[in-house]
Amino acid sequence: NSFTQDLLNRTVSLRVDNVEFKQVLNNLEKAADVKFVYSSKAIQPNRKVSIHATERKLSEVLEMVLRPLQINYQVVGGQIILNSQEIEKINNDNSGINSTISADQTVKGKVTDENGAGLPGANILLKGTSKGVSSNANGEFSITYPSGTNAILVISSVGYITQEVTVGSRTVINISLLTDNKALAEVVVVGYGTQKKSDVTGSIASINDKALKEVPTSNMVSALQGRVAGLEIQRTGSTPGSGNQIRIRGERSINGSNDPLVVLDGIPFEGGNLNDINPNDIASIDVLKDASATAIYGSRGANGVILVTTKRGKSGETKVSYNGYHGITNIISKYPVYNATQYQAMRNLSVYSSGYLAPELESIATGRTTDWQDLMYKSGYITDHNITASGGKDDNLFTIGGGYFKETTVLPGQDFERFTLKASTDTKIGKRLKIGLSTFNTFNTINGQQFVYPMFPILTLSPLMPAYNADGNVIKAPAGNLDDANQYSPLLLNSDPNSWEDKTRRLRTFNNLYGEVQILNNLKYRLNIGADFSFQENAQFQKADSYFRAGQTSFASMNNAKSYSLLMEHLLYFDKTIGKHKFGFTGLWSVQKSQTYNTYTKGENLAADFIQYYDLSQASSNTLMNGSESSRGLISTMARVNYAYDDRYLITLTGRQDESSVLAVGRKAIFYPAVSLGWNISNEAFLKNNEIVSNLKLRAGTGTTANQSIGPYSTLGGVVPYLFQGSSRIPIKYNFGNTVVSGYNVNALPDANLTWESTVGKNIGLDFGLLNDRITGSVDYYSQYTKGVLYGVTLPPTSGITGQYLTNIGEMSNYGMEFSLSSVNVQSASGFKWSTDFNLSFNRNKLEKLDGSVTQNIANSLHVGYPLTAIYDYKKIGIWQLNEADVAAKYNSVPGQIKLEDINNDGKITDADRSVIGNSQANWQGGMTNRFSYKNFELSVVAFVRMGGTLVSALHQPLSTYATILDGRRNQLAVNYWTPSNPTNDFPMPSASISPILSAGSTLGYYDASFIKIRSINLAYNLPESLLKTVKMSNVKLYVTATNPFILFAPYLDKGGIDPEPSGQGSSGLVGGGPGNISSRNLNVRLTTPSTKGIIFGANISF
Amino acid sequence: REVLEETPRTAFTIDYFKTSDGLYSAVYTAYAGMRYDFGPQGALILANVGTDEFSFGDQGAATDQTRELGTYNLSPTNGAIGTPWGRNYSNINLCNAVVEFAPSVSLDATSKARVVGEARYLRALYYLLLVQNFGAVPLDLGSGELKFNATPSCKFNRLGTDLLEKNYKAMIDDLIFASENLPDQRPAGEFRLSKVAALHLLSRVYLYRAYSTVKQASDFQNAYNAAKQVIDNKAKFGVDLLQDYGDVHKEGNDYNKEVIFSIERTPLNNIANEVNNPSTDFAEKVNISCNFFVSNYQSVTKSGKAFFPVRVLQYGRPLRQFLPTRWTLDVAFADKFNDSRFMHTFRDTYYVATFYTKGTADYDTYVSNMASLGLTLGDTAFYLAPTEEIAKSMKALTGSAAKKYVVFAPSEMYTNQNRVNNIYPALKKYEAVNRANFQDVSGRPFVVAKLSEVYLLAAEAAMALGKNDEAAQLINVLRTRAAYRPNLTSADLNARIAKNQITASVINLDFILDERTRELCGESIRWADLALRGKLIDRTKTKGYNPDVTTISNFHYLRPIPQSQLDATCEENKSQFQNEGYK
Repeated sequence: NSFTQDLLNRTVSLRVDNVEFKQVLNNLEKAADVKFVYSSKAIQPNRKVSIHATERKLSEVLEMVLRPLQINYQVVGGQIILNSQEIEKINNDNSGINSTISADQTVKGKVTDENGAGLPGANILLKGTSKGVSSNANGEFSITYPSGTNAILVISSVGYITQEVTVGSRTVINISLLTDNKALAEVVVVGYGTQKKSDVTGSIASINDKALKEVPTSNMVSALQGRVAGLEIQRTGSTPGSGNQIRIRGERSINGSNDPLVVLDGIPFEGGNLNDINPNDIASIDVLKDASATAIYGSRGANGVILVTTKRGKSGETKVSYNGYHGITNIISKYPVYNATQYQAMRNLSVYSSGYLAPELESIATGRTTDWQDLMYKSGYITDHNITASGGKDDNLFTIGGGYFKETTVLPGQDFERFTLKASTDTKIGKRLKIGLSTFNTFNTINGQQFVYPMFPILTLSPLMPAYNADGNVIKAPAGNLDDANQYSPLLLNSDPNSWEDKTRRLRTFNNLYGEVQILNNLKYRLNIGADFSFQENAQFQKADSYFRAGQTSFASMNNAKSYSLLMEHLLYFDKTIGKHKFGFTGLWSVQKSQTYNTYTKGENLAADFIQYYDLSQASSNTLMNGSESSRGLISTMARVNYAYDDRYLITLTGRQDESSVLAVGRKAIFYPAVSLGWNISNEAFLKNNEIVSNLKLRAGTGTTANQSIGPYSTLGGVVPYLFQGSSRIPIKYNFGNTVVSGYNVNALPDANLTWESTVGKNIGLDFGLLNDRITGSVDYYSQYTKGVLYGVTLPPTSGITGQYLTNIGEMSNYGMEFSLSSVNVQSASGFKWSTDFNLSFNRNKLEKLDGSVTQNIANSLHVGYPLTAIYDYKKIGIWQLNEADVAAKYNSVPGQIKLEDINNDGKITDADRSVIGNSQANWQGGMTNRFSYKNFELSVVAFVRMGGTLVSALHQPLSTYATILDGRRNQLAVNYWTPSNPTNDFPMPSASISPILSAGSTLGYYDASFIKIRSINLAYNLPESLLKTVKMSNVKLYVTATNPFILFAPYLDKGGIDPEPSGQGSSGLVGGGPGNISSRNLNVRLTTPSTKGIIFGANISF
Repeated sequence: REVLEETPRTAFTIDYFKTSDGLYSAVYTAYAGMRYDFGPQGALILANVGTDEFSFGDQGAATDQTRELGTYNLSPTNGAIGTPWGRNYSNINLCNAVVEFAPSVSLDATSKARVVGEARYLRALYYLLLVQNFGAVPLDLGSGELKFNATPSCKFNRLGTDLLEKNYKAMIDDLIFASENLPDQRPAGEFRLSKVAALHLLSRVYLYRAYSTVKQASDFQNAYNAAKQVIDNKAKFGVDLLQDYGDVHKEGNDYNKEVIFSIERTPLNNIANEVNNPSTDFAEKVNISCNFFVSNYQSVTKSGKAFFPVRVLQYGRPLRQFLPTRWTLDVAFADKFNDSRFMHTFRDTYYVATFYTKGTADYDTYVSNMASLGLTLGDTAFYLAPTEEIAKSMKALTGSAAKKYVVFAPSEMYTNQNRVNNIYPALKKYEAVNRANFQDVSGRPFVVAKLSEVYLLAAEAAMALGKNDEAAQLINVLRTRAAYRPNLTSADLNARIAKNQITASVINLDFILDERTRELCGESIRWADLALRGKLIDRTKTKGYNPDVTTISNFHYLRPIPQSQLDATCEENKSQFQNEGYK
C-alpha cells in the first residue's frame, strides 16, 4: 500500500564502519523514523557491518544492508519485520537436504580488502546450502562443511564484489575482496539531481577524484584528457595557465562557441575559466553527452555538459587531510635548429648576400658558437598544497579547505599561481528543512602570457653571434644581420627582469546558497541562489628601450574586466512508487542575469619606469582608453519525468523552455524536448542471476538542444567607433592639423530573425557488466544534426560591409561511436591486482550545407561535405628534381623549388589548384589507464592516443612563423632542404622566394597528427595500518609521478617537431595573420615555450 | 521580464548616421579610410613599382607582392591589390550614407553642403583609385547604385557594359558638386577639403576619361577649364607655388600653400594615426613611405668602419623596396645642375650621424671611429656622384685634397642588373626625423594634390586641344621655379632659368610624362599616369626604361580582381568577373 511505499521512500544518510548490526538498525530507526522488529537469534545482531549511504531511499539502504546478511524484511503496519532467509529457507525446504549431512570438515581463513586489511562482518556462505558465518573483527572466519562434498564458499560484504572460492583440499583460504565499483558508482549526477545508475537512460560518463589525481596538473581539464570516451580535449598553449579546447562529440557551430557548459555543484560556471577550479576540491565529474541528457540545460546544452561535484562534509569525526606535491619540470626536448656549421652551409646557399658581421667572422675563425636555447631554458617547478577539514554530526556537516598551486616553466617570467579557499555547510533544521552554502574563492596570477614571447629570437639568432660581451654583460642587439637591429637579446629578460611585467590577476568568488523543504515525504522544494563574481586585471609594462620596446619609449596598459552572474532556481522534486511503478518528477523555474564589462587604458613614454602601470596619467604619448559591456538574461522553465516499471523498463521525458535577451523581440523563446528509454535486460527473468552477465542495459534517446552562443546585441546591428587590425581594436581617429576627431563605422548589420542553432541528437547505447561486474563497460552510437548554424558571413568587400554578418544558414552533422571498458584483469589471492580502464571513440563532423547552393566559402574556410577543420590549400607533391627541369620551367619554377599538383591540369598553378587536402579530425582517439596494486603499493600508467588527422605546423610554414624561411638572414629550425646533391622532397632549396606561388610555403607545414603519449606514471605507497595507528593517522599515501614521460609514437617528431600536441589556436600571433588556408578554428603547432616533462613527489595524508 | 530586454551601452545602431554627430563621424571615418590608400605598403607598391620611374630593390625582390607587381608576374592573391579593393568600398558606403541621410539631418545649410561635398569628393577619389587599377567597378553595393547599403549582399554587381561609363559619370558628378559646395580655401594648417581640391581632381578625372574607351569629346576642354580655374584664381583659393621646390616636401612645412590636399597624420601620435605598432606595422593605415625607398646606407664602410652601425632617424630603415630606374636618374633628371628638382628629390649625400645617445659607450665608440677617419658628426660620410666623370675626378684627388668620405660612381650603384653595392640615390621626399625610432612609420601627411600638378594637367589638356604654346608656357612656370636654389646670385639664377625654358616644339605626351616625373617623382601616381594614358608598355618594356619589366602584356593595364573578392562572392561562374588575362 501507499503508506508502505512512502515509508520505504524516506531518504536516509548513514555512514558507519564496522559496527554491530543492531547499532545500524538503531541508527536507521532514528534516521528514517521507523521501527524494526526482529528476533536476535534469527539475525545475529552482534555481527559487524559497514554501510555507506548518502541520500538514499530507505528501501535501497535496507537492500544494501540486509541482502548480504541474507535477511528478508516485510513492512507491516509501520513496522519493519526482519527474518532470516536461512530460517525461511529451511521452512520452505521440504526435500530435507540438510538431513544428509554426515561428517564435517573445517576451513579457516581471512577476508581482506584490496589493501590487505582484515574485513570484519563479511559473510561466508557455503554454496548450495543455507549455512553461513560472518568474519570476526580481524576478518577471520571458520566454517565447517560436510566432508566429501565439493565445497564452494561464497564470500560477500557490502560494498565489495562477491567472490566464489572452491575449497578443494585446502584447510586455510585467504580471500581478498575487490571494491564493488558498481556499488560505488551507483549514483550519477544527471543535472538538477542525481539518479541511480541503473535508472539512467541518457549517455553519461563519470570519472572520480582518484582518477583525476593520477595526472597532477593545474587544471582538471588536462587531467581529463583521454580519460572519457567522447570527450576530446586538446591543448591550446604550452605555457603555465594556458587553456584547453574541450569538445564533447564534435563541433556543431561555426561562429558560436563549441565549448561545453560546465556546472559546478549545480550552478553554471559561466565564463568557463576552469583555472578557477581547484582540481583537489573535485569529488567527481559527470559528462552529459547525448541530447536526452543535456536537454534539461536547453539553450546551453548543445555542446554537452560537464557536471563538477565537489567534496562535501560527511558525518562522523572531523577529518583533516593534506594533499600536496612538488616537482621539477624540464623541456621535453630542444627545438632542432642548425648548429654553426649547418647554419653557414644554409646561409651560403641562400640568396642572402649581405656578409657576415664582424663578430660572426670572429666566431668562424675561432670556432665559437652560441646555443641560445641552452642559455635560455632553465628548470621549472610545479607545486600544489591543499589542506581540508571536514566532518560534523548528522545534521550539521561542513568542509573547509585551502589550496596553493604554482607552476613555472623553462623560460623566465612565465608562471601560473593560484590560491583557493573553499567552504561548504549542510545544516538540517528540524526534520523537514535543510539549508546549505558553498563558496569557492580563487585568486590566481598568470605571468607572461600576453606578450609575444621570445621563442623567435631564441631559435633564430645566429649561432655565430656571441651572447655576452668580454666583460660578461649581455649583448643588447645580437642579431646576425643589420636589418634586425631592433631584435634585442632574449637574455635581457633574465638580466633585467624589472624591465617588463605581463601579469593577469584574477579574483573569483563563486557562491551557492540553497534551502530545501521536505514538504511531504515524497515532495521536496529546493531554492538555489548562485552568485558568481569575478574581477580580472591584465597589467602590462615595458621599459623604454628594453627587450619588448627596442629603441622605443616605455609602454604600459591596464585592462580591468569585471563580470557577475546571478542565478535563482526554484526546484520541485516529487517521487512516488506504487508497486512496480516508480515515478519521479523534477520541475524548475529559473532566472539568470549576467554582465561583463571592462575598461582598458594604455599609454607610452611614462615619466619614470617605477610607475609601471600604476598611474597611466603619467604617460605622455599615445594614451588611449576604451571599454565594452555586454549583458544577457535568461528565464527558463523545465520539467523532467522519470518512470520505471519493475526496474526493467525506464522512460525519461524532458522539456525545457528558455527565453533569452540576446534574441530579437518576438523570437526570444524556444522549447527543447527530449525523450529517452532504457531497458534493464539483466533484470529480466531470463538473465537474472546469470553467472556471466551481471548487468545489461539498453538505452536509446533523442532530443533537441541549442547553442546559446549568440553575442548580446547581435540582432541589433552596430555602428562602432573602432575597427580591427588583426585582433587589436583600433579606435577610428583622424586629424585635421592638430585637431583629432573620431569616426564611426558599421561593424554589424541587424538581423531580427537571428535565432539559436538547434541540434537534434540521437543516441543508442548499451551498458554491460560481466562476471559480477568485474568487467564493465558501455558502447554508444550517436548522431546529431544541427540546423540554422550560426555563420558569420564575410561579405565580399564590394558589399561595403567589413564586419561579418551573423546569420543562421548552415547545417552540420556529427556522428560517432564511443566505447569504454573497465576490467579487473588480475586479482590474486596474494593481493596483487591489475585493472584497466580503456576508452576509444571517434567523431565524424561534416558541414552539410551553407547558404543556398554555395558549396564553398573559401574566405571563411568552409567547405560543404568536409569537416569544419578542413584545410584548403595547394597540394605539395614534392620538390622539383634536376631531371624535371623542363616540366618545372613550364610551371614557372626550377629544380629545388616546391612542386605543386596541377589539379585541373591546365598547365599552370593557379588558385584553382587548391583543394581540401586534409582536416584536423582524429580518425579515432582514446586512452588507457592501467593500475597495479600489491600490498601497500600502487602503480598507475595513464596513456593518451590520438590517431589520424592533419597536424598544422605553423612552425614549418615559412610565412607563418619565419622559422623555416631558409632565406639565410637568420638561423632557423633544422629542416631537410633540397640541394643538387641532396635530392629530397621535404623542403625547397634555401631561397628568398620559396615558390612562384606566394602562399605555397604553407604546404610545408602539414603532417600526420597521430601520437601516443604517456601522460603520467604514478607510483604510490600506502603506509601500513599498523604504522598509521602509532602515528594516529588514518591514511598516508606517498607517491612519485612522472608527467609526460614519453611520446611513444608520433610521426611529426621525425620531421623536426618536438611535440605533436597543438600549442595555439587560429592564426592570431602568427606573422601576417598566418597562412590563411586554415580557419581560425583550427589548432596548430607554433613557436611556443617547449612542452615540459616532470618528476613530482607528493603525499596524501589524513588524520 | 526586464531581464530579457537589451540595452547596449557601447554601440549605436545605423540610425546614428541620421544625426549630425553621426554624419560627421561617417565623413571623418571616410577621411581616415584614405590612409589605406596613401602610405601603407600595398598602396605604395601598387603606385610605384613596374613603372618607368621605379623598380624594386633587393628586399623588394624578396617581397613577393613587390616583385610580382614589379615584373608583371601577377596573381589575384597579391596582397597589394587587396589594399584599395578591400578597403575602399566600406568607405564609399559611408559616403553614400552621408549623401543619402544628409537631407533629413538637422544641420545648417552651409555645414550640410560642406559635409556632403567632402563625402562626394572622397567617394570620387575612392572610386578613382579603384577604376584606375581594376577598370569598371560596382556602383551598386547591394541597395542600388550609389545608395547606402545595409543589406548583407554577397552579389558582385560588376557586369554591364556601360559600367565604366557610369563610374566616370559618378566621379565627375561628385566632383562638380564638391567644387561648387566646398569652401574656397582649406583652413591654414589643416587639410580639410576645399573647392580647389575638387577642381584639381575633376581636371585629372576628365583627363583620364579623355584617354579611356568611354571618352567624351569635351573631356580635354573640361579638364583644361577645371585646371585653369585654379591657376587663374590662386589668391581666391589660397594656393600658390613656393619659391623653392625643396620646400614643398620639406618635413615640418607640410601645410604649405602649394599643397592642396594631403591625407593627414600627425607626428608621434599613434592613436590619432590609427597605428597599432609603429615599428612593425607595414600595412593597415600606416605611412611607411619614409622607409620604403631607403637604400642600404648601413652597408657603407671605410677602413672597416661602418658609417651607420645603427640606423638614424633621418635616413630611416633601409627597406630597399623601391629603386629608381637608371632612366629616372640619368634621363629624366639628366640636368641636375640647372634644375634643382633632382637634388630635392633624391638623397645623394649622407652625413655622419648616429642614433646613439650622447654619453653612452656606444656613442663614444662611434665618435672615435669616425674621428679615426678624420670625420666628425655632420661631415659627409659618402656621396653618390651624378656621373662617372665626377666620381672619377673626386676619387683621383690625393694628399690633403683627398676626400675623407666615400664616393660612388653610378656604375658602382645598385640596380637589379648590377648588384655590386647595395646603394642608390633614394627618394627623400618622405624622410621623417620627427619619429620615436628609426624603424617607425611616418607621422607626416601624405600629399595627394599639389598646385604644380594642376599646371601639368592644364598643359596636357592644352596640348590635346592643340595649344602647345600655352602648354609650354604653363610648364615653363614650373621649370622657372625649378631653377631656384637659395643663395644664388640673381645672374646665376637667371642663367639657369633661361637654360630650363622649353618651347612648344618639344611638347608631346612623352615630354609631359617626363616632366611629370621631374615634378612628381615618387608621389604615388606614376603607375596610374602611365596606365590610364596607355603608355605603360611603351615606357617600361618597349623603350627599356625599366629593364625588370620584360613580360608585360596588354591585359596588365588592369590588375586582377582580388581572389578574396571572388572567394567571398556567392555568384556562379566567378571567372566572368575576373579581368581578362587573369582568368
